[in-house]
Amino acid sequence: MTYVVTENCIKCKYMDCVEVCPVDCFYAGENMLVIHPDECIDCGVCEPECPAEAIVPDSDATANAWLERNRTYASQWPNLTRKGEPPPDADEWKDKPGKEALFSPEPHK
Amino acid sequence: MAELQAEAPYAAVEDSIRQLVDLFYARVRQDPQLGPVFAGALGESEAAWAQHLARLSDFWSSVVLRSGRYHGDPFSTHLRLPDLEPAMFDRWLALWGETCTEVLDPELADIFRDRADRIARSLRMGLFERLPAKLSKVSPP
Repeated sequence: MTYVVTENCIKCKYMDCVEVCPVDCFYAGENMLVIHPDECIDCGVCEPECPAEAIVPDSDATANAWLERNRTYASQWPNLTRKGEPPPDADEWKDKPGKEALFSPEPHK
Repeated sequence: MAELQAEAPYAAVEDSIRQLVDLFYARVRQDPQLGPVFAGALGESEAAWAQHLARLSDFWSSVVLRSGRYHGDPFSTHLRLPDLEPAMFDRWLALWGETCTEVLDPELADIFRDRADRIARSLRMGLFERLPAKLSKVSPP
């Protein structure tokens, strides 16, 4: 059982989640974060921390489409345990539809 | 999922966590099924136990109050326990549930039980289902 980061993280990347995660299972890409599904202990601490409400349990209907992407990029991107500076236009991108097309496979810099 | 109400007094919950953890692990140490596993990992030294109790209080504070005080890798810690069996998680949860009922008010007890259930399910799956499958892929037949 795991939590999954979904589309609304893209270009928002607030990173509040990484500070509260007790097991440090967040990995960072250029414009979104993912959770390593084998490291997440399903404690649920991150879910209410996300300003974009992008984190859902894997039982949620929206999780399916994102679970494999979380797994794939968690093994390629760097682990992130301290919140950095979110993108300056994060608030403008929050809840915008169609962000999946803007997903970047590049790692966090 | 049950959430802690914003108005719940933070310091009071921290005190409850400490009380819960202390009583729970006092019982674990006496438990015929769980006691030996912990004794094997931590020994009987009071200093080691005091450190463990402080660490577990940080863990529960992080899980229930989102305090961010605990950062660790519980999968690896459990993986190092040689005699761990899936049924021990049931015993752990039963003892935890009883102790929550005794120490906490009902609403808070529900939250702690719910989180423990989820975390235990996740650890058990990781340790006994997912990990062996992964290991068998890399081990020679």
